[in-house]
Order: sequence, then structure tokens, then C-alpha cells
Amino acid sequence: MDWGKTKFFLGEVLRNFTRNAAMQITAIGTVAVTIVLLGAFLFVRATLAGLGTEVLNQIEISAYMAGDATAAQVAAVESALRADPRILSVTFVSKKQGLADFRDQNRGTIDMSLLTENPLPDKLRVKVKAPETVSAVAASIQKLPNVGNVVFASDLVSRLLQAGSVLRSIGIGVIVVFIVVAGIIISNTIRLTVFARRREIAIMQLVGATNTFIRMPFICEGLLAGILGAIVAIVLLGVAKLAVWPHLVENLSWLSLDNAHIDGTAMALELLLVGAVVGAVASWISVGRYLRT
Amino acid sequence: MISLRNVSLAYPNGTRALDNVSLEIGKGEFVFLVGHSGTGKTSLLRLLYREMGPTGGTITVDGIRVDRLRHGRIPALRRHLGVVFQDYKLLSDKTVWENVAFAMQVTGAHSKDVGRQVPRALDLVGLAHKSRMYPGELSGGEQQRTAIARALVNNPKLLLCDEPTGNLDPTTTTEIMELLQRINLKGTTVVVATHNQAVVDRMRRRVVRMEDGRVVTDEERGYYYLGLGQDQILSG
Repeated sequence: MDWGKTKFFLGEVLRNFTRNAAMQITAIGTVAVTIVLLGAFLFVRATLAGLGTEVLNQIEISAYMAGDATAAQVAAVESALRADPRILSVTFVSKKQGLADFRDQNRGTIDMSLLTENPLPDKLRVKVKAPETVSAVAASIQKLPNVGNVVFASDLVSRLLQAGSVLRSIGIGVIVVFIVVAGIIISNTIRLTVFARRREIAIMQLVGATNTFIRMPFICEGLLAGILGAIVAIVLLGVAKLAVWPHLVENLSWLSLDNAHIDGTAMALELLLVGAVVGAVASWISVGRYLRT
Repeated sequence: MISLRNVSLAYPNGTRALDNVSLEIGKGEFVFLVGHSGTGKTSLLRLLYREMGPTGGTITVDGIRVDRLRHGRIPALRRHLGVVFQDYKLLSDKTVWENVAFAMQVTGAHSKDVGRQVPRALDLVGLAHKSRMYPGELSGGEQQRTAIARALVNNPKLLLCDEPTGNLDPTTTTEIMELLQRINLKGTTVVVATHNQAVVDRMRRRVVRMEDGRVVTDEERGYYYLGLGQDQILSG
């Protein structure tokens, strides 16, 4: 390791960075704002996705047995379902239990004295592991012998799944836009610093510095701007979460908001990576354009 | 050291800067390139350090086919030669020492070599005692010496000078020319483009005269004007 060489290089990067301080601060600020928006968007998206998953996970299939099914036949169906790897749990609800539940749920709305006999068949309540498989599982239950009606909230499931995929594609679009915007900002700043240093670059080229060598300090500048912008953004997001999130949970209690499944550290690292990569790539492009001409 | 065969150069706007130029310069020579402004002296030098490529013809510098040089190989060529300009092209926010060292550092030289060669180059041009000063604190002659030290610090075999004394007074001009001559005596090939008649006439070195993009005469021990010294012009 040649310490003198390293010192020269770092000195150059630092000198250029501080010499264009006003410009760099503008770039860092704008990148920070972009990344704050990106981060907030990712957070909202993750929360919504969490809500959707929550609802989907509560969906169950009610498989009603045929009215004349014997206890042995019901047990056979139940064990067949338990053997299915897609199924999470199976609960048996007897006729009697079903009626009691029905009475409980509809107390006061229906005159229960009308129910002189039990019209309900035995029922199996089935929960699946992955919400996407609900329809398929329901269809295969339907095919088992001695099974009557199979009921689940098919409308809700398909709408939620659809909403999820729309949300995902919109999300990718929004993220791409944010990244491009940040890239353009950094590349503009770097282009200005390149212009401010055109004499230096001309001399470097004259004495035989390679384009890679000339590029390096600018790439580091862009990297630094990107990382600093991301750090500012992450701090702002962290503060915002601490200050705003508890109020949201309190005021929107009916939504049962939950962000336990969102890994804050991972998200911060992602944003940092986005800042660094965007900064480096943007300056690579803008210096390259200058060196070729 | 330098060989040009039927070299022509036309700018995109149609101006012909060089027209079928052929020229041979041997190792260790000292050559003046003279002629009025706009006759192609600067264009010829630019072709040699590959600031641009020729429209036609072949150019060889120190065994490198410059006319065919790929873009990525240009830095390697530039490390074989030093270039000095009328306007010095120094970095005003770096000291004399840093300006000279810069030429080595940006080519990835080891810091040990930088520490050894920079003082040597500054000694050669007589600026060792001003190495901590900034270009703004130096006279024109000292700035040009700094530029020469920077051109020489990588030990090039060829030194190209484009009007090196254009901004300097006669005394300083003489000093700079003596320095170039000393450098030449150490074995470096030196090519000086100039329209300073006094310098050319006093030194009596090889003179390549250009007119309208062509080499019109090439004399072994020449004067600025064809076959005549300054005194002869005045008396004649």
C-alpha cells in the first residue's frame, strides 16, 4: 500500500468536494428529499401489503358435508384434508355446534323459536397456508366424496390479490422514477464540477493520465453525495416514524395497522445502497460524456 | 524520433491546416519550427501529442504509430513526451512542487519516485528554492520554468514547446532558451515552435520553416528568414 498515493487521491476528492460545497449541498439535499419520498413510499407500500396479507390470512373455506354423511365419512374427508400440504388447519364443526354458533351470531336479529329442527350439516373449517391457493384448494375439496357446498369469500380473495399485484407494479414504476430523478440531479451536479475543473482535466490528459484515473475522483464525489443524501433521508425518515407512527396507529385503530413485519434496518440499508449506486453511476455517465468529446 | 510522411490535416470547417507535410527529426536534435501565425506550427505539434489525428499520412513518434493510435493508448504516448505552452497551463491552487508532482501522481507513480524525481526536475530548472510558492507569486519566466519541470519530470525523450517565450521579455526569453538547450544537451529531443526571430538567429540550430500548412525550407544551421541573419536584413 502506497500511503502517499492514497493521501494524494483522497486529498483530491476532498478538495473538490469542499470547493464546490454549495453545489454539493444542493445535490445532497435534493437527493435526500427524493430518498425520503422513496422511503415513505416503500413504508406505506409495505404497510398496505401487510394489511392485505392480514386479511387474506384470515380467510377460511367452509366445507359443508352432505346431509346424509356418516361420522366415518366425515372423518375420512377430514384426514384427507389434513394430508394436503397446502392446508394449514382443519377444524370440525358438528351440526349441533354449528347451530349454537348460528344462534349466537344472529341473536336478536332472527326469531330463533322458528328453528324447530337443525337444518345445518356438519362442517369443516379449512385454513390454507398461502392465500393464492384458496380457490384451488376449495375446488379440490369440492371433488371429495360426501362433500356438499364449499364456500369461501372468493370475490374478496381475488380482489385483494389483484390489488396486491397492481400495487406491486405501480410500486416498481414509482421507484424507477425516483431513482432516475436522483440520478439526473447528481449527474447535473457532477457535470458542473467537471466543467469547473476542465483545466485540471486538460492537464491530466496532457501528461498522460488515463480516463479511468481522471474519472475516479468524480465517481467518489458522486458516491459521497449519494451516500450523504441517503443518510440525511434515513435520519429524517427515522424521526418521522418515531413522531408520526404512534398517532397513526391510535387514530386509525380500525385498520389494525401493524409494522412489525417491516425490517427498518434492512430498509435503511436498501436506501443507502440506492443512494450510493445512483451517485456513482450518474457521475460515471456524466464524466464519460465529457471525456469522450 | 519523429517521422511524418505526407501528413495532411483539414479541420471539419474545411480549413486545410497542413498540406502534405513530410519531416524527419532524429534522436537528440534541437529543431525550430518557424513561420507566421496560422501556418500550421501548432497543428503539427498537436498531431505529435495526439491532441488530434491527421486527415492523411503517417506519423511515428518514438516508434509509436501516432496516426493510428487507439483512444485508450493516448495516455501511454503522452508519457513519452513533455509539452510546454505559451500560457504555462499551471494549476493556480497548487504550489510549484504540487504542480510538478501532479504530472507523476495522475499517472499512478509511486510516491517514492515522486519524492525523488520532483526535486531533480526543480533543480534542473533552478526553482528548488521556490517549490512552496504558488504560480500567482512567480514571475512569467519562473512559471514557464515550472511548466518545463512538469514536462520533464517523467523523463521524456521528447520535449515539444509551443511558443514557450511568447509571453516573456527578452532577458527571460534568453534564460528559457538556455534552459531548453541544456535539456537538449542531456539527450532530450527538443522541438520549439516560435516566431521569435532574435532567438532563432542567435542560436543557429536546425530551422524548419512553414508557410500555408507546408514545409517550405529545412536548414541545418538556419536563420529565421531564409538564408539571412538579422543584421543582414537591417543592413540590406
